[in-house]
Amino acid sequence: MATQEELKKIILDVLPDVDCVIGWGPGPEPLCASPYFMRNPEDVDYLLAGPASVHNPALFLPEYKGRKTGVVVKGCDSRSVVQLISENLIRREDVVIIGFPCAGVVDASKIAAKLGPYGEPGETERAIFDKDALNLSLGGKELSIPLSEILADKCSRCKHPGAVISDYFAGEAADALQVKDDFTDLAGLESLPLEERFRFWEKEMSRCIRCYACRNACPLCVCRDHCVASSREPHWLAQANGVRDNLMFQVIHATHLAGRCTGCGECQRACPVHIPVLLLKRSLGRAVEQLFGHHAGLDPESRPPLLTFQMEETNIKEREW
Amino acid sequence: MRIGVFICHCGSNIAATVDVKKVAEAAWGMNDVVYSTDSMYTCSEPGQQAIEEAIREHKLHGVVVASCSPRMHEPTFRRTVERAGLNRYMFEMANIREHVSWIGRDKALNTLKATELVRMAVEKLRLNRVLTPKKIPATRKVLVIGGGVAGIQASLDCADAGLEVVLVEREPSIGGKMSKLDKTFPTVDCSSCILGPRMVDVAQHERITLYAYSEIDSVSGYVGNFEVNIRKKASYVDWEKCTGCGACTEKCPSRKTFDRFNEGLGATTAINIPFPQAIPKKATITAGACRQFQGKKCGVCAKFCPTGAINHEQKDEIVTVKVGAIVAATGYDLTDWTVYGEYGAGRYPDVITSLQYERMLSASGPYGGHIKRPSNGEEPKSIVFIQCVGSRDPSIGRPYCSGFCCMYTAKQAIMTKDHIPDSRSYVFYMDIRSPGKGYDEFTRRAQEEYGAQYVRGRVSQVYPRGDKMVVRGADTLLGLPVEVEADLVVLAVGGEASRDAPKLAEKLRISYDGFGFFMEGHPKLKPVETNTAGVFLAGSCQGLKDIPSSVSQGSAAAAKVMALLSRDMLESDPQTALVDIKRCIGCSKCVKVCPFGAIREQDLRGQIKAEVLEAVCQGCGLCNATCPQGAIQLSHATDNQILAEVEALLCQM
Ligand SMILES: Cc1cc2nc3c(=O)[nH]c(=O)nc-3n(C[C@H](O)[C@H](O)[C@H](O)COP(=O)(O)OP(=O)(O)OC[C@H]3O[C@@H](n4cnc5c(N)ncnc54)[C@H](O)[C@@H]3O)c2cc1C
Ligand code: SF4
Ligand code: SF4
Ligand code: SF4
Ligand code: SF4
Repeated sequence: MATQEELKKIILDVLPDVDCVIGWGPGPEPLCASPYFMRNPEDVDYLLAGPASVHNPALFLPEYKGRKTGVVVKGCDSRSVVQLISENLIRREDVVIIGFPCAGVVDASKIAAKLGPYGEPGETERAIFDKDALNLSLGGKELSIPLSEILADKCSRCKHPGAVISDYFAGEAADALQVKDDFTDLAGLESLPLEERFRFWEKEMSRCIRCYACRNACPLCVCRDHCVASSREPHWLAQANGVRDNLMFQVIHATHLAGRCTGCGECQRACPVHIPVLLLKRSLGRAVEQLFGHHAGLDPESRPPLLTFQMEETNIKEREW
Repeated sequence: MRIGVFICHCGSNIAATVDVKKVAEAAWGMNDVVYSTDSMYTCSEPGQQAIEEAIREHKLHGVVVASCSPRMHEPTFRRTVERAGLNRYMFEMANIREHVSWIGRDKALNTLKATELVRMAVEKLRLNRVLTPKKIPATRKVLVIGGGVAGIQASLDCADAGLEVVLVEREPSIGGKMSKLDKTFPTVDCSSCILGPRMVDVAQHERITLYAYSEIDSVSGYVGNFEVNIRKKASYVDWEKCTGCGACTEKCPSRKTFDRFNEGLGATTAINIPFPQAIPKKATITAGACRQFQGKKCGVCAKFCPTGAINHEQKDEIVTVKVGAIVAATGYDLTDWTVYGEYGAGRYPDVITSLQYERMLSASGPYGGHIKRPSNGEEPKSIVFIQCVGSRDPSIGRPYCSGFCCMYTAKQAIMTKDHIPDSRSYVFYMDIRSPGKGYDEFTRRAQEEYGAQYVRGRVSQVYPRGDKMVVRGADTLLGLPVEVEADLVVLAVGGEASRDAPKLAEKLRISYDGFGFFMEGHPKLKPVETNTAGVFLAGSCQGLKDIPSSVSQGSAAAAKVMALLSRDMLESDPQTALVDIKRCIGCSKCVKVCPFGAIREQDLRGQIKAEVLEAVCQGCGLCNATCPQGAIQLSHATDNQILAEVEALLCQM
């Protein structure tokens, strides 16, 4: 909590120079915080920076392009900010980046699974996160769930819980962690034969309702109103909701993010029907890592390899001679 | 829309494995098709006339021809439809020869595939729009890259025709390989006597600007309007002041410098003028050999230079020129023969290359025109020539014939007899390849008049025995092993693409083959053109060839340049990218990815938007593939057109 107080101090300092500071505030229910736009000093009181701060505030930055904006970032959020900067989607000088040592955020679906026997997560009356556990009361029962059991998967493979880029940092900045991402989440699917994998996606995509929540939650999906998914000129996709076009949409989404996706997982978190769309992005992201040695969102000077053109790629030998 | 479809037999090229009539019949049922027929040779005069008549008679708005690759005949048919009053871009071509009849034997499947390709073309054509070329001014100036005999010829021809010429040569002097040769086949006339005057003409021509010891740094722009950055490499001598007197080279104490011009036969000084007839005749310092650059105190050259031309501080300099056309004439290099362990891999001083032998024979060469054994300076009596070293050898990735080695070996055998009448020459060969006027007679003369002994067979090993070299091989005609004791072994080393030719090709945006030779536009009909408008080829850079052929190509390329630049205005290709301003979010991804620098950011009422420079855009489509929003479309291949083609394919499945 000490960090949170320090964060508030920093935000109060920054506030006079910016349009607003984006962070997290109280959500509709105790278990999750909401994106929160602080404009006045009194707003800052309600800041929440902790395990419930799941949203990626970088999402809003492109809309604020050209206006000076503060943003409080977890490690993963900061990588989105870096990626936006590197792609010229926001300007470095427009953003004031405020970091803090993140201890991980919760995964709502994991909590729901734990609470299953006791009631709906939404009916939680009171929820308090302490260092290692989530303590809550639900249906008249006091429960304590170890944080380690409900943290998001991305946090277990997170190398940079402190911001990779920041103007201010609340608390002690730490070095990158020695965690290895071995893509275990992909292993199960990839052990299947190709047709079965395809069947898996067909099944998943048959549930997609084309709400575009995944797209709208993605901090790097900046086209929004001009998304090829809903355009007639060019007309890449039918608006008909069918497996073919749904899958096509996801493939386009994933391809547009290859080498840009930082793995913040917001797409998958936003999906109301729990389609594991992050798998597609992680798979392409890994391919780009392996082929080009490129890691998105770490270096504001770097460029996504698929957005460059070279006659002869170092690792793709088209005409070995 | 009213579409006409023409399916070509191409004699039997297509008709043998595609049921052409059936494809034409199927086309009747395609969307908007109001006329369909087959024709024997659509590109022939009656074939083209039939298209024109059909356009008029059936009031066609667009035409599909299913025939060969568009590479050759798309321009032909575009002109055809234009003659009949259509916009030339209301035309589509389906390639049912290279993509179908030549590669598949199953007539039923071929017919199906041809039909599908025609349907795709029809669906694309339905979305075609009228495009109008813009007029762009052209700079009446030509850049020639490489000052070998081919480049010299091209430069002189262009300059004589009234064009300004910029000639860039990366060595300190022009002349190329020919300037290193002693005599030339088949007439055995002195190489520098025929090349020298040409080189002087280059130096004296009022319309030729020569940049020697320079390389191409970058090329931007497009046909008629190229902008080229030339890197003048630091020679550490102010060439404005240098008179070529040679005082510096006499005094330079670093006398063991590798002599590039003389192919390492003998040594030269760190500051040197490559040869007496050099153009320009200016001194250059080899930094790697110069004492001053090694941190030792020297500067002797500077002391003795009467004009104060020496400048050890000199830096590379970039000069920018604007030209309308470019001729690449970068020639070849000798293949690295030291990969052959069986020939001693370069360890034996008495095993030399043919080009070193030319320098030995040359009166102005390091041996003063005397044939001597490099090991001990004695006159050799027994000389063995080995042909096809580094040619026709797939094991080292050089499967091709270099074309000129048989001829120059015969020449060298003749010269040897002239120089040392009591010598014996042996020539190991695989075949003798001497087509050309007077060529076969020439190789015979070497054998019959000059007594060179030709042995058919590969040499398996060359090794020293005492102070002689033993050449071991097999005479495949007699079926016997042979062994010759030689005083001197000359390897007829073949050629390969000039060093870094692929890099230059990328800068010029021209294609090159697997060996690095530049690709001509068409092997028969466009031998000196490339597929990049405004860039032409001459000489060995396109494939190894001898001097007569190199000179012919130099003149041919010059003729092409003259035809191109005979007009002040060129037409720009309207098949370019276009930005939909409403969709563009100004992320500039396209700007960064465009290999031609054809897109720039523009400020549109405070918002950044992409803008395509139509004249620069080559229509490659990279930006189109990159833009996430699909805000950039190619005018002649929109996403919707591609999707329509895909749909046309899928709806058949
Ligand atoms: C031993 C030997 C003997 C021969 N004898 C004969 C003979 O008797 N008769 C005959 O007809 N043919 C002979 N030939 C063949 C002859 O050498 C070639 O036909 C001729 O030199 C080809 O001329 P070119 O201008 O195409 O290339 P080159 O002579 O190779 O000239 C190319 C020029 O371009 C320059 N260059 C290369 N790259 C660049 C660059 N990137 N930028 C700027 N400049 C560049 C080079 O420095 C060079 O000056 C012989 C060849 C050999 C090896
Ligand atoms: S991924 Fe890392 S930075 Fe992001 S919430 Fe988890 S621990 Fe924090
Ligand atoms: S959020 Fe889920 S349901 Fe909505 S479009 Fe994305 S994948 Fe489909
Ligand atoms: S990539 Fe597309 S959106 Fe981005 S600047 Fe270019 S045209 Fe505009
Ligand atoms: S199509 Fe696009 S990428 Fe290609 S040259 Fe034109 S503007 Fe550049």
